[in-house]
Amino acid sequence: MTQLESIQEKLGITEPWVERGGAHWLVPGEKSVREVAQAMNAVHARFITITAYQLAGDEGFRLEYHWDLDGQLLGVAFEIAGNSIESIYHLCEGANWPEREVHEGFRLDFQGRAYEPLQLRQGEQSGVNLREVKP
Amino acid sequence: MSYKIPMGPYHPGLEEPYKLDMICEGETILDVKLHIGFNFRGIEHLAEGRNYIQVVALLERVCGICSNVHTFTLCRAMEELTGLTPPPRAQYIRVIVAELERLHSHILWAGVAAKLMGFKTMFMTSFEIREKVMDVLQAISGNRVNYAMNRIGGVNRDIADPQAILKMVEALESEMAHTVIPIFTTSSTARSRCAGVGVLTHEQAINCAVVGPVARASGLAQDMRRAAPYAAYEELEFDVPVQTDGDVRARLLVRALEIMESCKIIRQALAKLPPGEIHTPGEKFAFTTGTATKRIEGPRGEVLYSVSWKQGSKTPARVHVRTPTFAVMPSIRWMMQGARLADAPLIQASIDPCYSCTDR
Repeated sequence: MTQLESIQEKLGITEPWVERGGAHWLVPGEKSVREVAQAMNAVHARFITITAYQLAGDEGFRLEYHWDLDGQLLGVAFEIAGNSIESIYHLCEGANWPEREVHEGFRLDFQGRAYEPLQLRQGEQSGVNLREVKP
Repeated sequence: MSYKIPMGPYHPGLEEPYKLDMICEGETILDVKLHIGFNFRGIEHLAEGRNYIQVVALLERVCGICSNVHTFTLCRAMEELTGLTPPPRAQYIRVIVAELERLHSHILWAGVAAKLMGFKTMFMTSFEIREKVMDVLQAISGNRVNYAMNRIGGVNRDIADPQAILKMVEALESEMAHTVIPIFTTSSTARSRCAGVGVLTHEQAINCAVVGPVARASGLAQDMRRAAPYAAYEELEFDVPVQTDGDVRARLLVRALEIMESCKIIRQALAKLPPGEIHTPGEKFAFTTGTATKRIEGPRGEVLYSVSWKQGSKTPARVHVRTPTFAVMPSIRWMMQGARLADAPLIQASIDPCYSCTDR
């Protein structure tokens, strides 16, 4: 069994990995980001980053999480309708700053963690840099 | 009784602005809080308004030291979205410029580290040698900092006389092998200031997901050039230096050895430089809808670009940049805990931080 199959098995996902745009993608289905992070930790995958995309209209956001597994780039995308998702900081310290960056750029909340206060605009609202404010 | 000492955002011991709040007891650092964001320029947002030519010039300005790695990674992602493959000569030229950039970045760091160790002569020597690398880069690209070498489908400038460049690289390699490397690896000053200082253990390196020379100095043998080869790296022989002590000296040794490996790579690439075109034909590019994510090994470690495009659009829908210092910098907290206050500037410098890259 390959390590990619092992991740699938741990998560109980039957849909195969798909190679697209330079990464191997897995559709998480009903699995939470914490469950995915735990499965990645189990195979010693290295966390890389989170890329946030604001979807059109009121569709919310897509967060693409990336890990490295022996040189293979792994991607798992989560679409969120609201403004929050579970934090994986306590499972993976490397996710601390990427979560903070998405929080400050898009005003999304990673549940279960605290943030540093804004350094230069203390008390003001975060998420003014990349989040498009829709009328 | 513990007390807080702020360092920065503007401080002689920092190369660029950022802030460390150090909680100390006597001369010992108990804990550190890092504050970033002083160099934030909103480049990811600006990229969304630039067309596929302009965006290359914009992203080259993320960093003044490793400018080439940004356009290299960006162009690889855009090539994935346009279905273009650069010709073999362009792949080799990309490798040569990337390794020259690694050389000047590592030598610059050696100079900064020497200055922080109180080793001023070595600082001057390092910067003198670095100038010679800059001369090579200028001979190839016409520029000293932002080389403007990369474009979608290849490179902008050819290496017309590889033998002339080879001579410059050989002279440089000899000077490195006879001055910088022996002094950094054997001098008692370097050893006494760096050995056992600012340790990041193997386990901490894994937890923090650090990359590049910092990871390799803590025993993690990860290097994108080896793990996921790109451009012409698969056709070239080189070693990935790894140390296990995780201290400032290990990080110094990894970079010193990488300097020699870079020279080895450049020599091979110049010797093997294939004939042919340096970029794909045409100046107009058709993008498919989708996201491409590419990584390369920059001087400070893995650089990742996620580029998203909509078919028919001239501008990207989203460009996300994950720079190596952004991944490595939080680990300074663990390196500093228990360290002497006087070592703080050297420890933070030992990750070879690029604050402009971090903040973008």
